[in-house]
Amino acid sequence: MQPVLILCVALLLGATPPKAADSHSQPAKAAAKTFPEVPGFRATPGPSYGPDNLFEYIDGGADAFLQFDFEELQTAAYLGPDKVEVTVDIYRHRDADRAYGMYALERPAGSAPIAVGVEGYAGTDHLAFVKGAFYVKMVQAGPKADFVLTRFAGRLAHALPGRTSPPAVLAAFPDGGRLPRAEKLAPRNFLGHAFLRDGVAVPYKVDGASFRLFAVRGKDAADVRNMVERYRAVAKAPASEVKTAGSERLKDPYNGEVLLRWDGPWLWGAVDQPPSLGQQLVDDLGKRLLRL
Amino acid sequence: MSDSKSSIERREFLKLGGAGIAASALSACATVTADQKVQPVAAAPAPQTEPAVPAPTHSEPAGPPMRTLGRTGLRVPTVSMGVMNADNPNLVKAALDGGMVLLDTAHGYQEGRNEEMLGTVLPARKRDSFVLCTKVYLSTFERKGGTFLPQTRPAEITEKLDLSLKRLGLDHVDILYLHCQYVRESVLHEGLLEALVKAKSSGKTRFIGVSTHKNEPVVLRAAVEAKLYDVVLTSYNFRQDHHLEVQKAIGEAARAGLGIVAMKTQAGVYWNEDKKTPINMKAALKWALRDPNVHTAIPGFVSFDELEDDLQVMRDPVLTADEEKSLVEPAKVAGLYCQGCDTCAGQCPEGLPIPDLMRSYMYGHAYRNREAAQSLLLTLDLPATPCDDCEHCTVACAKGFDVRKRVRDIARLRHVPREFLI
Repeated sequence: MQPVLILCVALLLGATPPKAADSHSQPAKAAAKTFPEVPGFRATPGPSYGPDNLFEYIDGGADAFLQFDFEELQTAAYLGPDKVEVTVDIYRHRDADRAYGMYALERPAGSAPIAVGVEGYAGTDHLAFVKGAFYVKMVQAGPKADFVLTRFAGRLAHALPGRTSPPAVLAAFPDGGRLPRAEKLAPRNFLGHAFLRDGVAVPYKVDGASFRLFAVRGKDAADVRNMVERYRAVAKAPASEVKTAGSERLKDPYNGEVLLRWDGPWLWGAVDQPPSLGQQLVDDLGKRLLRL
Repeated sequence: MSDSKSSIERREFLKLGGAGIAASALSACATVTADQKVQPVAAAPAPQTEPAVPAPTHSEPAGPPMRTLGRTGLRVPTVSMGVMNADNPNLVKAALDGGMVLLDTAHGYQEGRNEEMLGTVLPARKRDSFVLCTKVYLSTFERKGGTFLPQTRPAEITEKLDLSLKRLGLDHVDILYLHCQYVRESVLHEGLLEALVKAKSSGKTRFIGVSTHKNEPVVLRAAVEAKLYDVVLTSYNFRQDHHLEVQKAIGEAARAGLGIVAMKTQAGVYWNEDKKTPINMKAALKWALRDPNVHTAIPGFVSFDELEDDLQVMRDPVLTADEEKSLVEPAKVAGLYCQGCDTCAGQCPEGLPIPDLMRSYMYGHAYRNREAAQSLLLTLDLPATPCDDCEHCTVACAKGFDVRKRVRDIARLRHVPREFLI
């Protein structure tokens, strides 16, 4: 790797550590390894971007990244044998859940997973994966050549710090009828409501009926009670004391009927007209969430 | 893999597609004169040639004010939906049910998932009840220079449009934009214009347009010159340094029959990069709509509360005096602008030239002139990692800037190769 690249990456990544806790993220330490050497390829540094100018690189697409607390993008191009060119974009988010959320937002439905980092997917000449707080996108260009991105992905995944497992909350969603690799995460404005934060929705199809199960982790039980109160207000439900744990059906004017449960720091339920079978799944989800 | 195909997918995958409404906190600044003294942001004078909000015609039912989108003849409410951030179909349904008509997406948003999400909503609706706009970004577009590479294949437009239609579950879109242009030659690219016209004559799109968020006047005038475009989607907001020039070009384009759709009307959402002082979003949107030559605007929203705010503006787009005032006063508060008062001079125990560093920060972030910022930095005698040795900063800025944070931020710019300071 060229010295200038190492210096740029080290300084640009390392000087702005993540604001929030991702105990696996050590950008300063890992920065110099971010764009690893790949035998046969020569790396050239590319521009970097922050939240204030990401739109200069990906235009309207930047807003979605900002919703997932994007912090920095580093780019590099590798030129290899026979003019094979590989472009690598490494997006760093505030924490691993945010990076996974952005990855999941862009992941094509039905794509086959690749075991790199937490997970990845590939097309004929592109590959994306997520590891820790990093969402990596690569493209191979040039004349006909063997697919080299798997090799790049392995080296990058080794160089980048961070966890290699998906957000723990995903394990709480039961399997029956669950659509694989179709979950969506939202750091804010979950289900379109500003008072719901850090939510996950997972689509299900049971006996021909499609609906979503969801889970929201509040800061504590009081935070969740506040969410329930505000949801009741939106649904124009009668006001009453919200206890630490409870259950009710609300008529969300925008999302339709919502089956809502809460206990301690967790709020969960089902939306999009869940069938009766969905209630059992909601119960199972609750039991698993409370064990996390 | 062929060269052309490789480059197409490369751009599509990495760049996500072209221009949009991404409004950055730093994307536009308060008006700054040549001697770099800060002036309060002045709202552009409202164009006087037409009433700001045309009254509904007798034949239209009571509802929100409607405007005609240039030569397309489409009647649309002044506020439309920028869909680019939304992944909740219920938000789109609520927007349409609330009276919005025009939806704006792009081939590349969310790697195509944005169009797929719309595809879960639109096929169930009456086709003439909504206006669907999408954009195609060409893989051979050279972002830095704004031109297309010689190997550009106009057929890429059709290929991407076909895929967009499949995702959307529609047999045609209403407006197809050439995405993200800012150079005259590219707007007038013969091969691409032919491909756009072909898409129109094939019935896969009813109208064609071009989108821009940089050099807007150049693009607007080139679109007029081309005589083939129907619509221009352009950045336009009260914080643009050149908003008067944009306003003038919008007027020329509208008079030439082009439909004008405004984006980035929310001007960055916050007044400064610390995101503590929000801009009055309704006022900012109304400011753009005050121009009768702006036929509709496409604010992006992700919550139902934001939707309700935008629906209120759609129903009553008149900018009140108080709202107009709210667009001026925050420019006077501490933001990105160092006034050069020199209060900080000599305060740093490590001897750092704080006034120069604050000025460099202002060049880089407020003026977005990173070359000037770097040039200034390189004249300064700075340690390798300034501020790293101090746990707490003792420098007190008269405007309350976080001096240490700004120093650490801007000092990194010294090591960025000059060619990347775009």
